[in-house]
Amino acid sequence: MKKGLSYLAVGAAAGVAFSIASQDALRAAGAGANSGVTLFAEVFNKVREKYAEKPDDDKLVKGAIDGMLASLDPHSTYFDPKALQDFQTSMKGEEFGGLGLEVMMEDGLVKVVSPIDDTPAARAGLMTGDLVTRIDDAPVRGLTLKEAVDKMRGPAKSSVRLLVERGVNKEPKEYTIVREIIHVQSVRSHVEGSDIGYIRVTQFNQEAYDGLRKAFEHFRADPGFAKLKGYILDLRNNPGGLLNQAVEITNSFVDSGQIVSTRGRNADQEQRYSARPGVNLSLGKPLVVLINGGSASASEIVSGALQDLRRATLIGTRSFGKGSVQTILPLGEDGALKLTTARYYTPSGRSIQARGIEPDIVVLENIPTDLKGKVSSLGEASLFGHLKNGKEEEKGSDAYVPPEKDKDTQLQAAVSLLHGAKPDALRTPAATVTSQ
Amino acid sequence: MNRKAAYLGIGVIFGAAVTVAAPQALLSISPAAYAAAAETYRQLNLFGDVFDKIRNDYVEKPDEAKLIEAAINGMLSSLDPHSSYMDAKAFKDMQVQTKGEFGGLGIEVTQEDGIIKVVTPIDDTPAAKAGILSGDIITAIDETPTQGLTLDQAVEKMRGAINSPVKLKVVRGPKKEVKDFTVVRDLIKVQSVRSHVEDGDVAYIRITQFTEQTADGLKAAMEKLKTEIPAEKFKGYILDLRNNPGGLLDQSIDVVNSFVDRGEIVSTRGRTPEETQRFDARPGGDFSGGKPLVVLVNGGSASASEIVAGALQDHKRATLIGTRSFGKGSVQTIMPLGQEGALRLTTARYYTPSGRSIQAKGIDPDFKVLEDVPDDLKGKDDMKGEASLKGHLANGDEDTSASQAYVPPNEKDDKQLTAAINFLHGVKPSETTSAKTETAAPKTEAAKADAPKSDGSKNDIPAVTSPSDTARPN
Repeated sequence: MKKGLSYLAVGAAAGVAFSIASQDALRAAGAGANSGVTLFAEVFNKVREKYAEKPDDDKLVKGAIDGMLASLDPHSTYFDPKALQDFQTSMKGEEFGGLGLEVMMEDGLVKVVSPIDDTPAARAGLMTGDLVTRIDDAPVRGLTLKEAVDKMRGPAKSSVRLLVERGVNKEPKEYTIVREIIHVQSVRSHVEGSDIGYIRVTQFNQEAYDGLRKAFEHFRADPGFAKLKGYILDLRNNPGGLLNQAVEITNSFVDSGQIVSTRGRNADQEQRYSARPGVNLSLGKPLVVLINGGSASASEIVSGALQDLRRATLIGTRSFGKGSVQTILPLGEDGALKLTTARYYTPSGRSIQARGIEPDIVVLENIPTDLKGKVSSLGEASLFGHLKNGKEEEKGSDAYVPPEKDKDTQLQAAVSLLHGAKPDALRTPAATVTSQ
Repeated sequence: MNRKAAYLGIGVIFGAAVTVAAPQALLSISPAAYAAAAETYRQLNLFGDVFDKIRNDYVEKPDEAKLIEAAINGMLSSLDPHSSYMDAKAFKDMQVQTKGEFGGLGIEVTQEDGIIKVVTPIDDTPAAKAGILSGDIITAIDETPTQGLTLDQAVEKMRGAINSPVKLKVVRGPKKEVKDFTVVRDLIKVQSVRSHVEDGDVAYIRITQFTEQTADGLKAAMEKLKTEIPAEKFKGYILDLRNNPGGLLDQSIDVVNSFVDRGEIVSTRGRTPEETQRFDARPGGDFSGGKPLVVLVNGGSASASEIVAGALQDHKRATLIGTRSFGKGSVQTIMPLGQEGALRLTTARYYTPSGRSIQAKGIDPDFKVLEDVPDDLKGKDDMKGEASLKGHLANGDEDTSASQAYVPPNEKDDKQLTAAINFLHGVKPSETTSAKTETAAPKTEAAKADAPKSDGSKNDIPAVTSPSDTARPN
């Protein structure tokens, strides 16, 4: 059920592979006076002097910084102190006071994708498909998804009233729910059927690798562990996250070889990340990685490496195509800069920037009519000002994952492959691929 | 045909009331600035810090001039939608636009489905003399195919130095006959004033924008109309300011002065009282002989147009017919900067003679008359005004609703024009228009319901001005 929501997270594809810069990476301010900065100061002073109203200096400089960064590429941004804090929190593993609902926007109302197990929402009896029409008596219509989510969140132990419509009869129901601290897990796993270890990574935050290790512990504890045919690593609609987590997770499936390299502006800025022996958790069992148009950045590092190292078979649709690395550069009390500092390359030396990764077996989902056209990711190549990568760029692909497992064609294909089906029998016919 | 082009010209709505500042340097720091100096220093330091980090650590070597320009634009767009930085080219383009003349061929072109099409050759220009016709499709300019060019790029290629030749490949008519022309560029004056006689007794004058040519153009038009209409039959003037996005402040003052002989026309107020400037009519400037005057306005009448309409309304000199105007009540000053660029900065608000600011409110006509909008244009015909622009200067009770900005290409369908003519013929608009408004009102509602939902971002405006919609003289 969780899966339905993930496609919304594609919007967050700007969050991504980055490393935290060490203090010594920061260089002293540049070579003094420079005509560009002089011109900027001249305009700044004219605005302060002549503008029709007294301007807010702070806002002026923020506007300038935002404008400058936006001219670089879609992933370089400025974090003010508050935004930096939010960002750090989300990388630590999201934790907030809330209800435990995964929601999406549908026709101006908030639709429950799924109540998360063992949360106030689940205990209160909210159900998948419920439409939230009012939050604390305020109508939801007219709110953005983020605004609605912000209204539902709040300090633990505070209460919130929801008015929902349920089912085809739009039966109204009212709930008063007390908020709790909700911990969003970035890794979920279960044994699929009786013989496949299914692992879903929703984002590469600081807890992702630990989550993966716990998933393997669960598998080992399963009585049927010895009979496991293989693993499915589901990276669909995973927008990315921390580079080191991507490296560790890849290393959990391989014993040796290069995983990824990053290259900055100068040749001496190349960094290689290779597998350490002895930390492969997978015992060499077959591996299928699921990707789609919403798999970006750190997800593409993992799937690209596992594909190049011939460790996994990739099933799904072409990935997003974000092949750049951002670094967080602290700005003292003024927040931080998230700056694109490098491109990354898969072990075979390819850059997936604005191209994405082609799965070994292309399998499309059947998109419900009402969602057609809304569930494609446009991909990096469609982003304004993206870093170029030669002439052969590729647009995005579908980013829909059916909420019901039995309708999830990509998942079924992965299961069949691990059960010995021939790849050609699973592939969506080319004619269908072009028509969708 | 021209009228249609003009309605579509609404795209230049960001063009506006502009005064050209004396180019003296404005670098002195006012006493008030010292108080905040420490904080300002910190802010500038932050900017310098970010700039240096980008220079040193960005994945590619950045173009520093581009970075600074983006920073300046980012800073200015945080102020309001009308403050901007112009690089050398944009500054030159603006000067061409306000000057109202350039080296070119003399055709109005539009882009439909990527094809550059001649709307009309302008009389007495090289293009007209060479035999270019309305509807001709320009497929190549100086051997470069137009396919893939934007309208701006195509126009840019056709413009150039006076006496220089340009080669056009043209496809004409249903038989798609291919023709080659070599046309020598000449000085093209953009006619900002057009006029003709309506019904034998009404003087119709349309001002498309307020360029340096406008006041003179208006006087010439008024002189000519006086010779065309016998004095005893002369019922009055219609001044059509619909979809006129504005232009030069001094020209708008001159235009008002051509209809009134005394009194205040407009005042501008900057941040401090010393910056207040009052502009009065010069006695002897009135050319209208006191004849009745109707001013046509709509949602696309902005800025300098609103100065004219507001002054003539406050003076009770004119009757305003149409729909509520755009609501841009600010003045921009052009300040030359650096090598060849310039800063366009909002430096003042303006006030009509009665002391009202129309900022984010617009001017309500005395008689509201709506046009019938063809089905295929419904939803595109409304202009979201100043109050809908992101970051606009606030002004108390604002009117965020959209106002109609459609002018039918065919005069006979033009209800606002018909109401104006009837009014000058003594048919009370309250009667004709109240009936019309009644019947038209539901239509407008329907049109609004069709309009694409907007988040109030300034992207709404370009939606009206996508290249395919815009006709541009070249």
